[in-house]
Amino acid sequence: MKKLALAGLVAATLTGCSSQEEPQVLNLYNWSEYMPQEVLDRFEEETGIQVVYTTYDSNEAMYARLKLLDESGDYDLALPSTYYVSKMRQEGLLEKIDHSQIEGFEKLDPELINLDIDPDNEYSIPYLWGTTGLAYDASDVDGDEVTAWEDLWDEEYQGRVMLTNDMREVFHIGLRVLGYSGNTTDPDEIEEAYEKLTELMPSVRTFNSDAPRMPYLEGETDIGMIWNGEAVMGKEDMASLEYVYPEEGIIVWLDSFVIPKNAGNPDAAHQFISFVMQPEISALISEEIGYATPNLAARELLSDEVANDRTSYPAPADLTNAEFQEDVGDDAMQVYTKYWEMLKSGQ
Amino acid sequence: MKRRKGWPRMHRVFQQPFKTAVLLLVWGWLLLLVLTPNLLVVGASVMTRDPGSFLSLPLTLDSYRQLFDPLYLDVFLNSLYMAGVTTFFCLLIGYPFAWALSGLGKQRQTLLIFLLIVPFWTNSLVRTYALKLLLATNGLTNNTLMGLGLINEPLKMLYTEGAVIIGLVYLLLPFMILPLYSVFDDLKRELLMASHDLGAGKLSTFLHVTVPLTLPGVLAGVMLVLLPAMGLFFVADILGGSRNLLVGNVIKNQFLDARNWPFGAAASVLLTLAMAVLLFAHRLSQRRLGEEAQT
Repeated sequence: MKKLALAGLVAATLTGCSSQEEPQVLNLYNWSEYMPQEVLDRFEEETGIQVVYTTYDSNEAMYARLKLLDESGDYDLALPSTYYVSKMRQEGLLEKIDHSQIEGFEKLDPELINLDIDPDNEYSIPYLWGTTGLAYDASDVDGDEVTAWEDLWDEEYQGRVMLTNDMREVFHIGLRVLGYSGNTTDPDEIEEAYEKLTELMPSVRTFNSDAPRMPYLEGETDIGMIWNGEAVMGKEDMASLEYVYPEEGIIVWLDSFVIPKNAGNPDAAHQFISFVMQPEISALISEEIGYATPNLAARELLSDEVANDRTSYPAPADLTNAEFQEDVGDDAMQVYTKYWEMLKSGQ
Repeated sequence: MKRRKGWPRMHRVFQQPFKTAVLLLVWGWLLLLVLTPNLLVVGASVMTRDPGSFLSLPLTLDSYRQLFDPLYLDVFLNSLYMAGVTTFFCLLIGYPFAWALSGLGKQRQTLLIFLLIVPFWTNSLVRTYALKLLLATNGLTNNTLMGLGLINEPLKMLYTEGAVIIGLVYLLLPFMILPLYSVFDDLKRELLMASHDLGAGKLSTFLHVTVPLTLPGVLAGVMLVLLPAMGLFFVADILGGSRNLLVGNVIKNQFLDARNWPFGAAASVLLTLAMAVLLFAHRLSQRRLGEEAQT
């Protein structure tokens, strides 16, 4: 009986908690380490809206979760990469952005708005853009020899290479090395890229999209792929971490705010987007996590050190052969997925 | 409380609904949280992949056919191999451990069992990350070994199959020890003494008395280690470098990344079936032991 009474008491306390008046909450679904804590704190301070930050490490995982929770409205904001914006928009997974509630849209780089992925930005607002390039640890690798994706295949790097845990990016480098587009939908080209990548597999020590700088900092890998922001953050801890724009062309992507269909608190989502678009906040984010802001007013506020950092803000020459990631459609995705599974299973 | 007249009858009336409630709760729990999800998985496994809504008709056995694709067969076999090695090491450590444990005084036994269970208070994911710190190239083990001058170059331990097996053994060892401990605890000393009195040596007693009598514990331990080992995908992700080393990785990828739910479900059903086979073997061995004891 005592136990029963205790259980009753616990139940009563639990329900008691939830009946208190709840503060407003914004559920932000974002990549790990992709928003400085300071920004969240300041937003909370200014608006009283509490931000619940949930993370993912791949577009696929984010998409699957949002698709599954279609009706539930568990998330108010998410940040898909370029090609997932168009995919999710076409599948009706997104709520339209109410531009009357957004402040500062006119400050965005004209080259990064009104793209094919989302004409007139009806469903998405650019957050940050970045590149996926080559990284190496200068204390273990001779930097003069690292100029192209092809160099990863060099035998001397056996067991020292890191790739991102991102199917499209890994295939992108395989395709580029062969001279194909990283956005190909041709099954034969994808298969060829797979064949090429299998030759790289013995060299690959790990895949990481959680924090791609970590295997370099931990000394596990000396060369491989990295996102430019991670390279900037990594360099703060390890000065010998270098970022290279490979000859075959760097991978370019743009991550945008979107509001999932049935979001529980779309007003807070709009408020948050406007908050981030303030030049001062956008500049702070870019300085803190090393990716490039599409906000031109914010770029003027950047310290010279960041504004001139070619890792964050590539010079025009760095973008020779660069390719923007595009949606390849479900059929091609199935082909990619099949070979990705084979690649990771060591076939 | 004072005892009143008629209380015993009241008690019985109270007891009946209580009993019914408890039974309902247990059965409800099993139906809702065990049977239903499993049926859903089986159901999903015979449906067709649908890029829009995950699952669609018609019903098909394609997913099961796909399991026999050489690619997945290889993953399954490799996974079985990794789980087998894990089970072997768990048994190698767990068997003598449980034996020694059962020979200790009651208080010490309680203390050691308690220590065995304490790690469960920390989430296994967190403990796996801790293991990563131990195995890393700049990690504790390498630094110690290099500090002692035993090695000159750090050993590459992280992101290898070995690291995954270490992680699996570490996480699953208690599941081997506990059932073994319970059979050793029940093992009657008289039987061992009788064997001695009848002239059997230590080895002979071990092989002909101890091993058969603890076999159900071994099988129970193997069941609790072998199959979970194949499913702990996060260990392969964190310690193995996100390769498809375990069936669990394939299942997770199919659900999360490839969005091929029928195939992911079919792979889960395969694991469930394997578990059923092991359970059957376990029952068989217990029945045989029962028969031997009667004759």
